[in-house]
Amino acid sequence: MTRYIARRFMLTVPVLLLVTVIVFSLINLIPGDPALVFIGGEAGKEAVEALRKQMGLDRPMFVRYVLWLNRLARGDLGKSVRDGRPVMDVLLLKLPVTVELALVALTVAWSIAVPAGVLAAWKRQSMIDYAATTVALAGISIPNFWLGIMLIYFFAVNLRLLPPSGYIEPWLDPVRNIKLMIMPATVLGTALAALVMRQLRSSMLEVLGTEFIRTAHAKGLSERLVVVKHALKNALIPVATVMGLQLGGLLGGAVITEQIFAVPGIGRLAVESIFTRDYPMVQGVVLFSAVAIVFVNFTVDILYSLLDPRIRLVEEKA
Amino acid sequence: MRRALLAAVVIVTLTAVLAAGLASAQAPRRGGTLRVGLNADPPNMDPHQSTAAVDRQVFQSLFDKLVDIDETFSVVPMLATSWAITNNGKTYTFKLRPNVVFHDGTPFNAEAVKFNFERMLDRAFASPRRFEIILVERVTIVDPLTIQIDLESAFSPFLSILSDRAGMMVSPAAARRLGRDFAREPVGAGPYKFVEKRPQDRVVLERFDRHWDRAAGFAERIIFRPFIDGQARLANLWAAELDIIDAVEPTDIPDLKKDTRVRLLERDGLGWQGVWLMTQGTPFNNRSLRQALNATIDRRTLVRVVFGDTATVANGPFPTGMLASDAGPNNRIPERNLDLARAKLREGGQPSGFAFTMKITPGRVPQQVGQIVQSMAGEVGIRVNLEIIEFGALLSVLASQRYEAALLGWSGRPDPDGNIYNNFVTGAGQNRAAYSNPRFDTLLDAARILTTAEHRRRAYADALAIMNEDLPYLFLYWPKEYKVMSPKVNGFVHNADGMMRLRHVWLSP
Amino acid sequence: MATREDALPLAPRGRAVSTVGIRYFLHRYARNRLALIGLWVMLGVFLSAALAPFVAPADPTKTDFGALLLPPSRAHLLGTDDLGRDILSRIIFGARTSLLAGVISVGLAMCVGLPLGLMSGYFRGQLDNVVMRITDALLSFPFLVLALAIAAVLGAGLSKAMIAIGIVFTPGFIRLSRAQVLSERERTYVEAARAMGASDRRIIWLHILPNSLSPVLVQASLAMAVAITAEATLSFLGLGTQPPTPSWGSMLNIAQAYLNKAPWLAWWPGLAIFVTVLSLNLVGDGLREVLDPRLR
Repeated sequence: MTRYIARRFMLTVPVLLLVTVIVFSLINLIPGDPALVFIGGEAGKEAVEALRKQMGLDRPMFVRYVLWLNRLARGDLGKSVRDGRPVMDVLLLKLPVTVELALVALTVAWSIAVPAGVLAAWKRQSMIDYAATTVALAGISIPNFWLGIMLIYFFAVNLRLLPPSGYIEPWLDPVRNIKLMIMPATVLGTALAALVMRQLRSSMLEVLGTEFIRTAHAKGLSERLVVVKHALKNALIPVATVMGLQLGGLLGGAVITEQIFAVPGIGRLAVESIFTRDYPMVQGVVLFSAVAIVFVNFTVDILYSLLDPRIRLVEEKA
Repeated sequence: MRRALLAAVVIVTLTAVLAAGLASAQAPRRGGTLRVGLNADPPNMDPHQSTAAVDRQVFQSLFDKLVDIDETFSVVPMLATSWAITNNGKTYTFKLRPNVVFHDGTPFNAEAVKFNFERMLDRAFASPRRFEIILVERVTIVDPLTIQIDLESAFSPFLSILSDRAGMMVSPAAARRLGRDFAREPVGAGPYKFVEKRPQDRVVLERFDRHWDRAAGFAERIIFRPFIDGQARLANLWAAELDIIDAVEPTDIPDLKKDTRVRLLERDGLGWQGVWLMTQGTPFNNRSLRQALNATIDRRTLVRVVFGDTATVANGPFPTGMLASDAGPNNRIPERNLDLARAKLREGGQPSGFAFTMKITPGRVPQQVGQIVQSMAGEVGIRVNLEIIEFGALLSVLASQRYEAALLGWSGRPDPDGNIYNNFVTGAGQNRAAYSNPRFDTLLDAARILTTAEHRRRAYADALAIMNEDLPYLFLYWPKEYKVMSPKVNGFVHNADGMMRLRHVWLSP
Repeated sequence: MATREDALPLAPRGRAVSTVGIRYFLHRYARNRLALIGLWVMLGVFLSAALAPFVAPADPTKTDFGALLLPPSRAHLLGTDDLGRDILSRIIFGARTSLLAGVISVGLAMCVGLPLGLMSGYFRGQLDNVVMRITDALLSFPFLVLALAIAAVLGAGLSKAMIAIGIVFTPGFIRLSRAQVLSERERTYVEAARAMGASDRRIIWLHILPNSLSPVLVQASLAMAVAITAEATLSFLGLGTQPPTPSWGSMLNIAQAYLNKAPWLAWWPGLAIFVTVLSLNLVGDGLREVLDPRLR
């Protein structure tokens, strides 16, 4: 078992290294001089040149990469070009906001998806099933920025039930915090809910068709007990893994959602730093999300193999 | 008789009480937190390193300057109580205000002023302010409260420059201690001192009790919050989450004028907007083609469609209210003239039109303006290709001058020189069009040295007449200045430079 | 309860898909009503995009400064936008942009991804190692963030956005085709072909690829749906199509400023994206049901 974990871990190292290369080269290839952007349109050439030197932009790319990597290894993500704050500090400040948004979104998503998925699987091929499947598909298809705009229009502009955008820390004003989270979490959670529901439905159907369930039936257990207790538990495993792999989608969705709803999380941080050419910040954010995803994938793999030994053996044979 | 006397006393007393009551209702109330909505996150709290316009909003309360500008464009005292300009405009002697301390308790005096100037002029420090005060030759301490500044040559706009970031005084002790990190813990001499700054979230200032102006600093705290999205900013104002906001979308203005929940302040601004035409390189190295394009534009319709009446149609760099606003063709709007356009096309050797690419920034207004120009110019065969390129990349492209046309303006300065010199003089830092006309340069240099308003106006009129023929830039409109605030905000004076001066603002309960 | 009455008779291995199969396939597909609706809608979208100049009532770029922000009326069925242009025409022409974006970016990803994945999975060894590590690395980025960064590098414009989206899709196709190859290459028909002396290239292209097509087709249609949304998102952020070319995403961008005054500016383009993407998803789902009998 430990051999398996070690092997998997060894495989992630080159991936992580490649991730740093991709992040660095991509960000530094973006056209536009960060010194110029920082200074804005209204200063002299001298000041720009001096700033470039200070930012270290006059050195060749490869040297800059190595220097960056060096500092990375020591946990130093560099300083924001905008206001000199350490990138790590800013990240840690914004991360909880996105995490909160994601958690609320997950809650919304699961509370819709689980009952819907179970129901659809239980009453498959019925009207309920078709309705649920179609709604799920609609949830995946709806462009999240449109959903966001429409929600703002109806609930904030028209009905004035909810504040349109912004953020306040939960410990400062919990009621308002939730009010502000509802719409963005719904937007973010919709696609996720749809995915979870579909995955749950199909894996429930698989489980429900197995011998093990037939035995439970034969023993005379009530239908509901069979469905909920036994089938659901087993069906949840692949769903959980699918969800783990959705982290990337969640982060990507957060980018747009945070923009529209003015939520100060890392999604918005990513967009703004790209547009302001804050190289260290963009590198930090993108790197962070990629590493998080690699880590989550790794954990999911390990967990999955723990639960299903066949995977491990197949891997070891290959 | 006694009854009449009694009645008189009662009446007088009642009147006095009533008057007192009324007076106290109008009297500024101390306390409360003023919440300001900005249109961007202010990146840098060091006025000598700051480059973003939005930083200046915070600076108005955090840093005192040598002089300030009031709403009539007049220079008024602040840290300098009086000044004398001698030696043909080359020497400025300032008398400084006594008993002024910085937020860290250190005294403000001539030494501090000298330190500030040296910091800005220090090549190694590379301050963006350096080229603003590049004409400063020597700063001499005459006595602890008198400072003398000698310039290389006469420079009429000097005082107005000192009313902005270049005149903001930082604490020498703090600057020495923190160096470039001063932006993280700024120390000034303004009525409010720095508490904290959380990026993309808020900047918090707190009243400084030892400020020299006892009539300043009514609000206990000021919190600045960035809202990039205009709708969000406005929505927060409506929801009483903000007290005053900076910048509103032109499309919201008509409704805001009728909105009883808020107060809308409107006035002419300082900036200008339009199209840069790169004069070195095809197609716009050909003056006739520039003139052809200019003739196709119906400025009035363009401004009406995009802005309604939230912007003023323009044909020059001096918005209404500024000195020289009525100089030459500045506010004389040319009518659209397709015949002239076609004649100019023939003159320029492109009778059936030509094509070029105009770079615009993302955003609704640039896209609309760009598409309108595209539509109007298309009628004589001038094909405009629009290219959305975001702000960062646009600045680089303009700096390297690899473009044909670009939609970009200038935020504006109180003195007319600040709205034209560095943008159009040969080789100047912001001369994006690579425009060069020696006669034009001479006129602008003269306008800097001349001291009377009338003489300067005439110089600018002549200069604009030349520019109106050469057309390195097509001026389109002057955006108006707006502030929207809650009815609870009192004492706000709306200044054309758009800066929110909050020291005398107070909140009613 | 699941029954096996709908089991698809498995096609004989080692043969390329036969024409008899196609008719049966269409029949099977049509039994799913939703998928059928999706197919019809997609055809409708394709047709209106292709015949846009004939279907649209007006020139989508023609401005009319006297008719700004008009609500839907008989003259303008969906109203006019901020520059007086007919929204219906812009929606119809916008379909061209979206479909083009979908087809080209997915096509690009398939052209690069499929061969790479096939070769990587077939030949294994060092090639496989390198390709898989790079794929893993690329797949570690949130899709939108990567697309945004690449689009920022390449610059604005529809073609650059399509390339950016295509690049981001490629690793997915690499993985998919590789997984297919891995499961196919152990099969008896491949061994037989090899024993008969067939070259590697022949085996890959003539035997393995046709049998791997099903999941690829499903992935392609689903990817197209994502690509259309991605192009709209990039245009929404200002990095996609350039004005005045109509794009549903940039139309939504402009609409934000007019939510109080003219909300219909936001309804129509969003609805268009939604309907198109939904239909594509329905088609993809339908394909998956037919081609992969395990999944009910």
